[in-house]
Amino acid sequence: MFVCVRASDLSSDAVWQEILDAFDAVTPLIEDVRRGVALLDMQGAQGDFNAWSSRIRSMLARYAFSASIGAGPNRFCAFAAAHGDGALIEAGSEAATLAPMPLDVLELDSDVVERLHLLGVTTLGALAALPHGPFVRRFGPPAARWHDAARGIDRSPFTPRGHAISIEAAMLGEGSAQSEAAVIFALRVLIGRICSDLARCGKRASALHVDIELEDADTARVEVQLAAATSQERAMLDVVRGKLEGASFAAPICGLRVQALGLEEGGEPVPLLAGDEIDRASVAVVLARLEAMLGEPVRRARTRAAHPLEERFTYEPFTLMNLADRPKAERYRFGEAESKLVPQLRLLAVTEIDVRLRRGEPAMVGERAVRQCAGPWRIEEGWFATPVARDEYDVQLDTGEICRIYRQGDRWYLRGSYD
Amino acid sequence: MLPARIDFQALKARFTAMAATPRPGREPLFPTAIPSVDALLGGGIPCGSVLILEGCGSAGCRSIAAALLAQATCRGLGAVIDGGELYPPSLEAAGVRLDRLLIVPATTPVGMARAADLLLRSRTTRVVVMLAVALRAAVWARLAGLVRKSGAVLVVLASRTIAELCAVATVCLSCRIERSVMHGTRGLWSVFSGFELQAELRKHKFRNSLAPSVVMGVSNVRLCPSF
Repeated sequence: MFVCVRASDLSSDAVWQEILDAFDAVTPLIEDVRRGVALLDMQGAQGDFNAWSSRIRSMLARYAFSASIGAGPNRFCAFAAAHGDGALIEAGSEAATLAPMPLDVLELDSDVVERLHLLGVTTLGALAALPHGPFVRRFGPPAARWHDAARGIDRSPFTPRGHAISIEAAMLGEGSAQSEAAVIFALRVLIGRICSDLARCGKRASALHVDIELEDADTARVEVQLAAATSQERAMLDVVRGKLEGASFAAPICGLRVQALGLEEGGEPVPLLAGDEIDRASVAVVLARLEAMLGEPVRRARTRAAHPLEERFTYEPFTLMNLADRPKAERYRFGEAESKLVPQLRLLAVTEIDVRLRRGEPAMVGERAVRQCAGPWRIEEGWFATPVARDEYDVQLDTGEICRIYRQGDRWYLRGSYD
Repeated sequence: MLPARIDFQALKARFTAMAATPRPGREPLFPTAIPSVDALLGGGIPCGSVLILEGCGSAGCRSIAAALLAQATCRGLGAVIDGGELYPPSLEAAGVRLDRLLIVPATTPVGMARAADLLLRSRTTRVVVMLAVALRAAVWARLAGLVRKSGAVLVVLASRTIAELCAVATVCLSCRIERSVMHGTRGLWSVFSGFELQAELRKHKFRNSLAPSVVMGVSNVRLCPSF
């Protein structure tokens, strides 16, 4: 037996999801047909339609909106029964009960309804009376389903919604820890529990939240991003440990809660020949430890098109999520391709320098004579904001040093040197 | 001559002969893929070694370090402990895959040493580049030990000779620019197009006879603004 609940005046998806969660108390098998329509599979549930209906109504009373409830032996019958509030279609009397119902129950397009009306078909009973073959030939393949539904036949499968799984483990009110070793031991226990739960569900976690409660009632949350979704205790513990290495707390720790997030299905891909590939778990640990030590994340550079040197690149935190594996075609070419020797520019802190000109070109930089000079290259930017206009030069000094200098207004600056 | 004295002389001669014999294949090599440098080093840098690139000012040390990083990021990860002088577009031009390069922002000598320590212990990066900062001999020795265990190459960029560092180094290359190459006449139409770099092998732990220095061309990519 299926029960259909049709709610109207729903304010948001969040409310609807909350209602669906509340239906779990009635039956664990719930199909979310669409926003405002749910089907409940009541097979094996105690009680009858009246008991279920009153239970659902008392549950919905908290949300203050109207809902109609119907029940039937299959999905369509339950859905149709919900059109008339409180209706029950018994098994064996489907066609007879559905016969007086209007075509609206089938939720057809308006042009199809219009065509059926022209044929004099206004109820499900009239539709069911039409010969199946000619009706399907005239209205196309979907008409077979309408004809079956009008006769109370619905073979479409019931698709229960998935349940959000929450995996967490906590250790609260079991004394307090002042040493790092005690905290790590507790974390190891909690992560062990989490990993066994994950294994039981056939899931992997890609992030962890570690909530720390202190004796002075303060709390702290450490967000741990794992390199790849995993259910391995060792991989998780190493990263959590790395994250906590640089942390210090004002009071002893009296509670720990670890929550697994970003749950993913399936097993863990392990390369058969992993010698040359990147060990993502180890990289995640070292990234966490470096961040804990330095107080800022390890960075990755990205280049971009711009005129000023200092704007031709940006930094972003180094994560393994967007680390692309080497294309297979490149894999066995190590050492075969010749390296390019390219002068590397060292960006120095911009300092003002004394430059003397000869025929409009730098001739002396400080006390050093200019041996060779290339430039100027004019850069003008930011006409919409603070304008920047400068002339850049590459100069080789008599010491052999090759520098990038620039003039902005009347002043000269040293930007970098080639190495 | 006393028998003990004879034995000692024989033992000494045996050790001298052993030391004179090159030990090929003792360590796997990390090729720089720069033919002249590989030839100078006998095929590449031994894995698990500290490489010092020594040179003052514009010496071309970073160009060689970039080539090593390009090789490292071709196969795995590389790391640079950066004090704020890094210019990633130049690295990219040298073939470094920036998405596989860890840039560790450490500014203090102790921070740099600790970052290198963590990176080497993790065995995740094949090449770690850092500056030669003022550290105690014991710290350099510890880093050298970690490098040996991890099989990585620690490239140290030094502007001057540091005795404590040289003592633990496996290979020491001294670099200097022979001449710079400018294309075009002076002024606007002139472009700095590279330099000739001379590298001299100062120390190689596993080679007894040091090869003479080599000169290699370093060609620039266009760093001047595009017109």
